[in-house]
Amino acid sequence: MNAPVADQPATPRDPPRDPWRRRLVNTLLYGRNVDRAVKARARIGLAILIFTIGYSIIATRLVLFAALPDSHGARRAMGPDAVATARPDVLDRNGEILATDVRTPSLFAEPHRIIDVDEASELLTAVMTDVDAGELRERLASKRRFVWLKREITPKQREQIHRLGLPGVGFLPENKRIYPNGSEVSHIIGHVNIDNQGIAGIEKWLDTRGLADLHLAGLATDRQQKPIELAVDLRVQHAMRDELIAARAQFKAVAAAGVLTDVRTGEVISMVSVPDYDPNNPREALDPTRINRLTTGVYEMGSTFKALTLAMALDSGKITLKSSFDARGGLTYGKFTIHDYHAQNRVLSVPEIFTYSSNVGTARMALSLGIEYHKSFLKKMGQLDRLRTELPESAEPLVPKRWGELNTVTIAFGHGIAVAPLQAVSAIGALMNGGRLIPPTFLKRSEQEAAALAKQVVKPETSEKMRYLMRLNVEKGTASRADVKGYYVGGKTGTSEKVVGGRYSKTKVLTSFTAVLPADQPRYLLLIMLDEPQPTADTHGYATSGWNAVPVGGAVIARIAPLLGIEPRFELPASEKLILASAGGR
Amino acid sequence: MMRLLNICVIVALVLAAADVYKIKFESTRQAQRVTKLRMEIRREHDAIATLRAEWAKLDNPARIQSLTRRHLPLKPVEARQIDKLDNLPERPADVVPVDEPDPIGTMIANPEVLDRQPTGSVPAAKR
Repeated sequence: MNAPVADQPATPRDPPRDPWRRRLVNTLLYGRNVDRAVKARARIGLAILIFTIGYSIIATRLVLFAALPDSHGARRAMGPDAVATARPDVLDRNGEILATDVRTPSLFAEPHRIIDVDEASELLTAVMTDVDAGELRERLASKRRFVWLKREITPKQREQIHRLGLPGVGFLPENKRIYPNGSEVSHIIGHVNIDNQGIAGIEKWLDTRGLADLHLAGLATDRQQKPIELAVDLRVQHAMRDELIAARAQFKAVAAAGVLTDVRTGEVISMVSVPDYDPNNPREALDPTRINRLTTGVYEMGSTFKALTLAMALDSGKITLKSSFDARGGLTYGKFTIHDYHAQNRVLSVPEIFTYSSNVGTARMALSLGIEYHKSFLKKMGQLDRLRTELPESAEPLVPKRWGELNTVTIAFGHGIAVAPLQAVSAIGALMNGGRLIPPTFLKRSEQEAAALAKQVVKPETSEKMRYLMRLNVEKGTASRADVKGYYVGGKTGTSEKVVGGRYSKTKVLTSFTAVLPADQPRYLLLIMLDEPQPTADTHGYATSGWNAVPVGGAVIARIAPLLGIEPRFELPASEKLILASAGGR
Repeated sequence: MMRLLNICVIVALVLAAADVYKIKFESTRQAQRVTKLRMEIRREHDAIATLRAEWAKLDNPARIQSLTRRHLPLKPVEARQIDKLDNLPERPADVVPVDEPDPIGTMIANPEVLDRQPTGSVPAAKR
């Protein structure tokens, strides 16, 4: 056995001795017999734990910040921003502005922060003279945290109120919808309410297309939205409106309306219904006399409907342009007798029935084809169902519930069925453009898009014959006053008696004129409608279409044709040679 | 050796901290600048929108028409005033053939060939 090593300095029980002074200090600081090494290890462990927790919190926050980008910044940016929705600009087909947003300040108050309500209301009414003082005071004294004082104040008022230095009163920039052209396009474009939400026309259509949802999500505040291009041509619209206002005054009519469509695309180039309203002052729109008569009203279109009857007859193949019908006397049906306005009292050929606008002849023509055929043809032409366009305002046509022979007789010449005039225009457009029914649109549309939507409803030959008849009617018939030289106008007049108290009135009539130009290469279809025109000295006491709607139509065509870029041609032969020859001479 | 390393690390830490501070400061400044520019852009957009609206209002056909009626003798275009380029008559032959110099031009270029005799107005005879 070896003797134990004498010196064992490494044993823990026997740590190397410190100098006594240090031992004294340690005893005083930590107490006697405390193993500082163990304690230090525990402390280090604690420190590691704390730091780990701290850094993991930081790391988590970093990940969160990265995952949810800029949520704070976005909220901060939106705070002072517009309350009312930003809407896309609306342009006409040439890029002219029809509606745009302008930023205007609105005045609000936080009543709990207002010190002296009386002083504040006094000072504010001094600046804004058009505000009701009592109401303003009431609002300022209310218990709510936020009240609007006035929406859309002028920059000058803003400056003055700012100078007043009132606490608790502030401004928020808001988008205000501006219609620089006033009443010019009112019925097409519609208008918005104070919160910039569309409540009529294209503006409402914009909202139904998702703008309202965008607004609810708080995203529609910027003006970086794509502008909407409409089919309307502002210059044509103005010319039409100008002429219609003059016509309404001249004939003392209740209303005047006009619509111009492109027969190849179905675009509505112009639509005017006077009296109209200023969308900048939407209160006017509430007046029921200012409705849009072309889409919201339904009317018995009168002789204009004969075009549909004749097209049906020619398209059936059973009746040709050479056929003739007995138009002697009246057509008695039960207790009703149908008379002709321009009675000829002889056997009339098909073109004569059209140009003399013979009720009897048209009625016999429709009867010869049968009720069901007539009904299904009108259904095919879209006259029996509600016409849907972008405009939210539309009216259901009034169609007889039970369709007997008498209905066919009257509907053949446009009585007994009431349709929206735009509906009739789209059907007649189909008769002109080669037989393709294209749903009308207020948005810009290309010919390819239109071709995809088009539905062949009558044969192309029928369309050519109809154009011949329309042109013939201007050359020799009731629409001769609309023969604007150089544009080869074709047209059909219509005079329908309005129903007053359940009876057809002899004095209250609705006159209309449908024109196609140019008749040999159809481009545009125009409808002019006058509601209750009065006979004047110039019209020799007549109030029929040929004396009022037709000359108005002529004036409109003369004015808009150069704007539309239609090439005037003067050396064109008569319709029989030009259109009928290409149609095969039948 | 250890001490040197420690000093190096501390210096690096201080430098890194300074750099981070600088980057942060710079980013704050840039962010402020972006905000300011955004606001300026928005203000410009608003101004453009206002001006465009005003222009459209001034450009309104009804207004132009009333101004024209009041101040100009213009009338709407008629179909007769429009014609095709093909219907224009042939351009008449030049009075001076193309390869010959222009007679008036020659006179201006060489004033000495000009006849000094005054033409046109004759001084009034003395009374």
